[in-house]
Amino acid sequence: MIAPDQVRAITTVAVDPETAFQVFTDEVDLWWKRGPAYRFGRGRDGRLRFEPHVGGRLMEVFDEAGGDVFEVGRVRVWERGARLVFEFRALAFVPGEITEVEVRFQAVDGGTRVTLEHRGWGALRADHPARHGLEGEAFGSMMGLWWAGLLQSLGQRARR
Amino acid sequence: MAAPARNLDDTLAALADPTRRRVVDLLRERPRRAGELADAFRVSPPAMSRHLRVLRTRGLVEEERADPAADARVRVYRLRPEPFRDLQAWLEHVEGFWNEQLGAFKAHAERTRRGRRR
Repeated sequence: MIAPDQVRAITTVAVDPETAFQVFTDEVDLWWKRGPAYRFGRGRDGRLRFEPHVGGRLMEVFDEAGGDVFEVGRVRVWERGARLVFEFRALAFVPGEITEVEVRFQAVDGGTRVTLEHRGWGALRADHPARHGLEGEAFGSMMGLWWAGLLQSLGQRARR
Repeated sequence: MAAPARNLDDTLAALADPTRRRVVDLLRERPRRAGELADAFRVSPPAMSRHLRVLRTRGLVEEERADPAADARVRVYRLRPEPFRDLQAWLEHVEGFWNEQLGAFKAHAERTRRGRRR
């Protein structure tokens, strides 16, 4: 955990960044773990797919002809071999709440470092009055710092 | 993904207001009386009591008598650590979710693309 409204996971994979990006997106259904703890169908597994462009969908398809599809979110950034950002609307979150996942692919000795950040459930919707006119990153970092300080101090207190 | 506890939403909703976040900041230092909090923010006592009600009904603060020997009407508010611990547990759950996913991604990529590293 790096901030209370953000988590980060990192791995290093022994393929180049182009390949890593391609596997991450084109083959998402092949590697994404199955079962209700990981997928979106409440017990039935569909087929996960990215539509490969900004504005495209990440979705789990149960029956495409019948229109039985769960849209996980839209792609916000699609930089092949470098960076992928998509919305993440898991069933777990309150209706309408959209969180964001950013995945960065960096060449390192022996392959690619893949850094995934999932953030946004502690943030507020853009139209929320509490935002006080702060936009995007300024707001995010302000909230992040506030949360970090809060959890740190409370954690210390709880351990005492 | 498993659903977070319902009260996680309550915690986040209660903290979605800047005045309530500042109340929490002050209560981190020590318990305080409602009047003291109202003074600190230059808001009316009824407005402060609305904020405190939100924090109390959602379980972030609790109210207690300042001193058993003192005036029974004097009450102080203090933070409850439980909602913040629940939030932390949820974050650890999400972190575990993505660590497992990246592990599966790595295994799949290396199994199917062996020998293609740079």
